Amino acid sequence: MRFLTVVLQHTCRNMLFTWKSQIMTLFTVSLSVLIFSFFYLIYSNALHVGQELGNDLRLIVYLDEDPSPAMQEQYQMKILKFDQVDRIEFISSQQAFKRFEQQLGDNRDVLTGVPADFLPPSIEVYPVRSLDNLSRIKRFSDYLQTLPGVLKVQYGKEWIERFFSFIQLMRVVILLSGSLLIMTTTFMVAHTIRLTLLSRQQELELLRLVGATNNYIRMPFLLEGALQGLLGASCGIAALLLLFNWIKLQFAGPTTLTLLPFTFFPWPVILSIIGIATLLCAAGSFSTTRRILQL
Amino acid sequence: MEQSIRPVSLKSFPPGAPFEKKQLCAYGPISETSIPPLRSESMSQETHHPDVMIDLVKVTKVYPPDVQAISDISLTVAKGEIVFLTGMSGAGKTTLLRLISRIEKPTKGMVEVAGFDIAKLPQRNIHQLRRKIGMAYQDFKLLPERTVADNIAIAMEVVYRPPSFIEKRIRALLDQLDLVRKYATPTGELSRGEQQRVSIARAVANFPEIVLADEPTGNLDAETTGKVMNLFHQLNCQGTTILIATHDQSLYQRTSHRIIELRFGRLRSQVSDPPEENSEEEAASSLFPSSEA
Repeated sequence: MRFLTVVLQHTCRNMLFTWKSQIMTLFTVSLSVLIFSFFYLIYSNALHVGQELGNDLRLIVYLDEDPSPAMQEQYQMKILKFDQVDRIEFISSQQAFKRFEQQLGDNRDVLTGVPADFLPPSIEVYPVRSLDNLSRIKRFSDYLQTLPGVLKVQYGKEWIERFFSFIQLMRVVILLSGSLLIMTTTFMVAHTIRLTLLSRQQELELLRLVGATNNYIRMPFLLEGALQGLLGASCGIAALLLLFNWIKLQFAGPTTLTLLPFTFFPWPVILSIIGIATLLCAAGSFSTTRRILQL
Repeated sequence: MEQSIRPVSLKSFPPGAPFEKKQLCAYGPISETSIPPLRSESMSQETHHPDVMIDLVKVTKVYPPDVQAISDISLTVAKGEIVFLTGMSGAGKTTLLRLISRIEKPTKGMVEVAGFDIAKLPQRNIHQLRRKIGMAYQDFKLLPERTVADNIAIAMEVVYRPPSFIEKRIRALLDQLDLVRKYATPTGELSRGEQQRVSIARAVANFPEIVLADEPTGNLDAETTGKVMNLFHQLNCQGTTILIATHDQSLYQRTSHRIIELRFGRLRSQVSDPPEENSEEEAASSLFPSSEA
């Protein structure tokens, strides 16, 4: 208990002593967390949107003739051999015609005189609903194209490709902003701790001479780093929440944004970001303390 | 009848021999119960003789590139002994004290302090040795922007003494060293004499087993010197071993304590016979000129 009190006292003293650098560090950590979490928020929402859109995703494999039950079994086996799917439906020419009729509704008269088997039979393949599966759609489509009796394979090729380009871009941006977060938090905190250590070198030397343990000397600096991470990350997340609410307010109304499920981070993600930033800052502080004090 | 100060008398003390302290303390011992125990950290390698506090065997210290500070010194200091280290500037007194407190490591030889072989003492355990030693440095090593009380408290804070104890101890020491009025003054605003006394107060604050004082009275007048020496004697009465490195002949001229002279880094002579012609009271008054006891 006494140890904790002493550590807290020393930490507060350190932070007051170098309050200017503390504010600078806090600002940098906040900004890094804000940049990273901003892109991560976009990415996670994009993934969510992808999942929502993926619910309607299916590959339509047009065949040259209605497959016999044995052929249907063969097709099913070959499709499952490539990947797991949610379900496979065989649509005969007749069923396709009926569907088309229903879709036309009151305009079904246009089909008068048209033979009931003018539409080709098809297989509707519903892939498992996950984004990973979406990324394999193209390969899946290429594979289905090679099956015997297949005329054409159709899916929302264009939007899927655009969507995945966007997801890929977001991944790169997140990687970069994550690296920025790691670098700034670690280096800035390390720099501030270094300044504190140098400004208090005389006292630290004295502490060693009067019999202070390594932990007694080190702990206040570790705590200082962790506090910078905790406060900086909390401020960054708070700023992002403000920004998020502002954007939602700006785009309130009949826009595309309101149609998409655009949500803020759930609590576990918020706590993870704050926790990781805190750990990174503590690590930066630890390495500097270790190097300068040679503990 | 008032008790008089009787300095420790060491008659031809052979190295390693048990030291029998038969003395009367003018101040009486400080009650053991008034000193809260420190956390148990007994790592001392109890292979040495229990009555030997400091043991140096053929110790040499060479500073780079090739400055021989002390050379081939062997010395044994018993528990509860007061020893004066004398010699000219550059004789190696400070180096010897720095070796004992493990600020320096010996180039050759063995230094054993309070049961710790300092060459084998790992960095992470140095605090165990340092807590047994109180050192008053020649350059004081005070924190100028911190108050007198803060500077003294540091030594007790690192061993987690309760704040009430720290407060009481600081006031008692300042009272004894005539510095009560300076309690909340930053040490940077004190005179050198006052700074020296703060440094001494910090060295003895934690009731160390060994006190190493490097020129403790260099900036003090005769009266204050007496007060400082009284403080040392009071600690010595409780069994503290004290090493005083000094130029000040008045401190040891008529003392019965062992005097070790260093010259050019070598042990020149050891004197340990008390002056026969003096009574013990005279010896005490010569050692502690301002003692009221």
